[in-house]
Order: sequence, then structure tokens, then C-alpha cells
Amino acid sequence: MQDSTSIFSIVVSLLMACTAYAGPNITGLANTCNNCHGTGGVSVGESMPSIAGLPEGYLKNIMLEWKAGKRPSASMTRLISGLTDEEIAALAMHYSKLPWTPVKQKTDPKLVKLGKKVTEKCAGCHGDTGKSEDADTPSLHGQWSQYLQLEALKYRDDAFNMPNKQMVKAAKKLSDEEIKAVAEFYASQKNK
Amino acid sequence: MSQINRREFLKLTAAAGSFPVLGFPSLARAGAAKARVVVVGGGYAGATAAKYVKLADANIDVTLIEPNKIYTSCPLSNEAMVGHRDIKTLQVGYEGLKKRGINVVHDLVTGVDRTKKTVTTKGSKTFTYDALVMSPGIDFQFTGIDGYNESLINEIPHAWKAGEQTLLLKKQLEAMPDGGRFVIVVPKGPFRCPPGPYERASLVANYFRHHGKTKSKVIIMDANDSHSKKGLFNQAWAKMYGWEKEGLGTNGMIEWVKGAEGGGVNKLDPKTKTVSSDFVDVKADVLNIIPPHKAGRIAADTGLTGADGNNFEKGWCKVEPMTMASAADPDIYVVGDSCVAGEMPLYGNPNAAFDMPKSAHIAMTQAKVAAAAIVAKINGQPVPQPYYANTCYSVVGDDYGISVAHLYRVEGGTFKYIKEGSGVSMMTMPDKSPVPASYRKLEAEYAVGWLRNVMADAFS
Repeated sequence: MQDSTSIFSIVVSLLMACTAYAGPNITGLANTCNNCHGTGGVSVGESMPSIAGLPEGYLKNIMLEWKAGKRPSASMTRLISGLTDEEIAALAMHYSKLPWTPVKQKTDPKLVKLGKKVTEKCAGCHGDTGKSEDADTPSLHGQWSQYLQLEALKYRDDAFNMPNKQMVKAAKKLSDEEIKAVAEFYASQKNK
Repeated sequence: MSQINRREFLKLTAAAGSFPVLGFPSLARAGAAKARVVVVGGGYAGATAAKYVKLADANIDVTLIEPNKIYTSCPLSNEAMVGHRDIKTLQVGYEGLKKRGINVVHDLVTGVDRTKKTVTTKGSKTFTYDALVMSPGIDFQFTGIDGYNESLINEIPHAWKAGEQTLLLKKQLEAMPDGGRFVIVVPKGPFRCPPGPYERASLVANYFRHHGKTKSKVIIMDANDSHSKKGLFNQAWAKMYGWEKEGLGTNGMIEWVKGAEGGGVNKLDPKTKTVSSDFVDVKADVLNIIPPHKAGRIAADTGLTGADGNNFEKGWCKVEPMTMASAADPDIYVVGDSCVAGEMPLYGNPNAAFDMPKSAHIAMTQAKVAAAAIVAKINGQPVPQPYYANTCYSVVGDDYGISVAHLYRVEGGTFKYIKEGSGVSMMTMPDKSPVPASYRKLEAEYAVGWLRNVMADAFS
């Protein structure tokens, strides 16, 4: 009787150890992100970014910045601060491996045309269409226009004191119309 | 459509390979579907559970039973009530779930036989289940207020289940003359959407401002002594609606009477729309009584609700933290507003933060945990570590949104509230300066994006 009890406890400990070594349940954690960022990380809400297929380095960096209080946000700081660095790294890897899916949306051709011109000076980092070419730069092509506008406005707004000074400098040079145009241009790009 | 399903399935299960597969007995059968999952109730929780079971394992037969053909979202229905948005933007059918291969049955579940594992409906159909998801939402208790009963809800709408009730209250609001009193009666918690009554008060005051009815009042008669996002609401009310302080007879457009000071209504004169507590009588021009809640009838009839013992379990369904399985039945998973997950759910209680609020967002994460646990059990895999999260936006004025977030883990078999991953929008900036309007505007925009995504994540 005693033997079987101790064997049972050993089995239980082994099982628990097994579970512990498996690392975080990233599918489960990512499922909670899907509520706001869409099933599989592809958003259908215009103010919420699609996150599936964004570069791993970028995702990991912004989450760690939120957690460290280095990147002001209205909501994300609170949500991310409860996660371990291991979970953040695994989430970044999870979403980066999903395919980037440009979202279907209507854009204003006039603004797109203006945006193409304005974004010429962004091409150095963001490429001609906003398609990410490196691990630290987000993909912008086919992202939601409204989200891009809200984000650009944050870079321009001193109240947000955003961490990427190059982006802050660039955004401050843009008028309201140009910000809209930049967002509409990137939103209209359908290349994968 | 099936291609999309397959792609999403691959995305969702991409990490599943890293889990150790243990030797639980498999329920798999040769031939037909490997197991049957029946979902009772097609709100945010039920729809999400059905979809996420199917996404994770297409070979499981999933049936969703829901009486209504159109679902109306409660989140953001206060906006529809004051005319900021068309109620159609909150409505969704079940075609998305049908396209995923879920068997959607529009019928009312009248009984669950836990021994035979069958569900019977009003339409005399019987469904057999291996796992049952119980997600009937809430029912009201039309008791406790003398003179009030269910037959009065057309004259005195609750508007706490969105749809026709929302539009009834809207009509009354629009017909109310300037100088009138819009009275909201808030029941003792727990109730669905903890910030909902206060968001409603905010938007009604905003309606008055926009429609030249600035002599009107919103009076909140509250059975509770505190409420969700209280500091943020008071701050917003002071900024926009002349809020001064708690109690009746203040100069602001919104007055809040807490339970300890006579907010707990126990009497109604329906003819004069006068509500009374032990201390005060308040006559309303528009009266909105939100009745106390309990778990949906079928959850109680199935024997899943607590009758005695801890007060917070009375009328609600206790669940196992790892899986959302009912504490009364391991094959029934209770998700959404009808469950109680955690400790005392009442605001003003020191343990309040440990309980999960009754929100659409958390209902969906509960449903995803239940779906993952069901799929794991059917496939003989270990229970995945659950995560529960909440985000709840309240739109309280033009370009003015606030929110609360919650994160829960399960540690040592119990729910653990993670303080670091939770909390409300900033009251001040870190340097104590006021929060710029741009932050509040962002959250108002996020509320709309959130709505579109939760509706799609559950129903599409």
C-alpha cells in the first residue's frame, strides 16, 4: 500500500516536472491576445493592429519596452507587465511565424497618392511599400489605416514620449493630412 | 472556407507539438467523429467554445444550441441606447460558425441528463455528449424589490440583455423632457459588466449635453458601496458632467447613492415610477431597474449552481481552475457569466480583485481554456496550462475611453490574480500631471476595434 502510494507520488512529480519543462502554453496565451488582435493574430478591428507575421525582434522589443515602462501606451503596458520574459519571447516567436496577412480595407486614392510621395523619406527603413526587411522594423503594408494613423499620432505627440527618436523626429514633420496619407498609402499595399 | 479553417487550425496548434503526450486513455473511436461536444447557449462564451474546439480538432462533432438566430452584443450596447451607434453594428448571426462545420441548432435546452449524458430541447430533440459546455449566461431574479416583477419590464426596462430592451430604454430616454430624472437601479453584485451601470450613466449624461437637456439628472441608486473603475469614472464625470461628490442633491448631472447611504432599493411604486430604500424615495421620469442576477436557469436545473455555503457561490456555478469544468460534474464545463471563478466577487470587498469579472472578454478566454481542456482530454493529452485575461473598455464621453485589464494564472490548483498584469487606465501620468486627452481618445478608439475583434473571434 505504502509502495503504491510512493510510486504514485513519484509518477505525479514526474508528470509535474514534465509539464514544467514544457515551457509556457503559448497557444493558450496567444488565444487571449486573439480577443483583441483577431483569430490567429489577424485583426478585423480598424484601431487594432494585425500582429501575425510581424518580425520576432520587433514584437519582443516592444513587449519588453512596455513591461519596462519605456514605451508609453494606453492599454498594453498593463496587459504585458504580468508576463514573464520567457512568455514574451515565446509569444513574439509564435506570432512572427504566422503568415503576414494584409487586411482588406477601403483607402482613398488621393491620399494614397500623396502618401506615396510623403513616404519616400521613410523608405530607408520601411522599404518602398512598408514591407519589413529586418527583424526590428514592423511590417506596415496592408496594416489597418486607422491603427497606423493612431500610432503615428503617438509618435508626434509629446504626451506619449515614444522611445524611437528617429520616428518621433519624422512624425513631427508631418501635418495631420500627411499622417493620414502615410497611413492610407501603407494600408493600400497588398504585397505579402 | 475549409482552407481558411485549415490554415487557422495550423496557426493555432503550431505550438502544440511541444507538449508531452501522456498516457491518458483516449476516447477516440474508429469511423465517425471521435467525440461529441454540445454547447448550451450561443453568447460570446458559447460561440467561442464551439469555434475553438472545432479549430483545434476538426474531427470532434460540435453542436451549439441557442434559441435566438441573431445575437446582440451587450458590450457597447450603452452606445446604441444613447444613439451613438446603430444596434445593427452589435448584431451577428451564426452563419460563421455553421461554415466552420459546427452544427447550430436554434432551440431551447430544457433538460440535461448527467447520467445518460444527454441534452433535450423544447423542440423534443435529444443530443448525446462526451463533453458539455454550459454557457447560458445570466437570468434575473425578480425578487427583493416590493412592487417589482417581470411583467413590468416593458415599462421599466432593464436593458441588461441587449436587443429589444436596449431600444425600449432608448425610446424612453429620447421622450424624456429636459429637467427629468433618469434613474438607474443597480443590484448587489455580482452582476454582468461591472462598469456597465456607470458607463450607462456617463453616456446618458452625455446625451443630455448633446440634446439641450442639461437640466436633467442621472441618478444611480446602487446597492453596493463601491464600483468598478470608480476613480476613473468620478474623474471623467467631474471633467464632463459637473460631478461634485457622492450622494443625492448635488449640482452635477450624475448623482450616485451608495448602498450604505440608502442606494439599495427595496420598494417600487410602478405608477409613479418611484423607488425607495430604507432612507430615501426617488421619483423617476425614466426608470431603469437592473434586477439581481443568477446563473442561467438551465445551469441551476442541471444541478451546477451552489445552493448553500459561501454566499458568492449561491446561484452561480463553481468551476475547476485548470479546465473550467464544473466542480459538480467533470464532463460539464461552465464558461461565461454563469460561472464564478475565484473568491468573493463583490466590489468593496478586500478580495474583490481575485474574482473574474463577468465580461465578454473574460468569458471568451474561459471558453478557450475549456475548449483546449476538452480537446486535450479527448485526444489523451495533458491539460494545457490555462491563461485567463480580461480587457474591458468603457466609453464615457466623446473621445473618452477608460479600461480595466486583468490577468489570472492557475497556481497550485487555484486561480491566481496577477497584479502586475492587471489594473485600470492611468488616473495621472507617472509624474502626477493630468492624463492627456489623447490617451483617453485612444482608448475610445480601441473600444471599437476591440468590439469588432471579439465579435469576429467568437462568431466568425
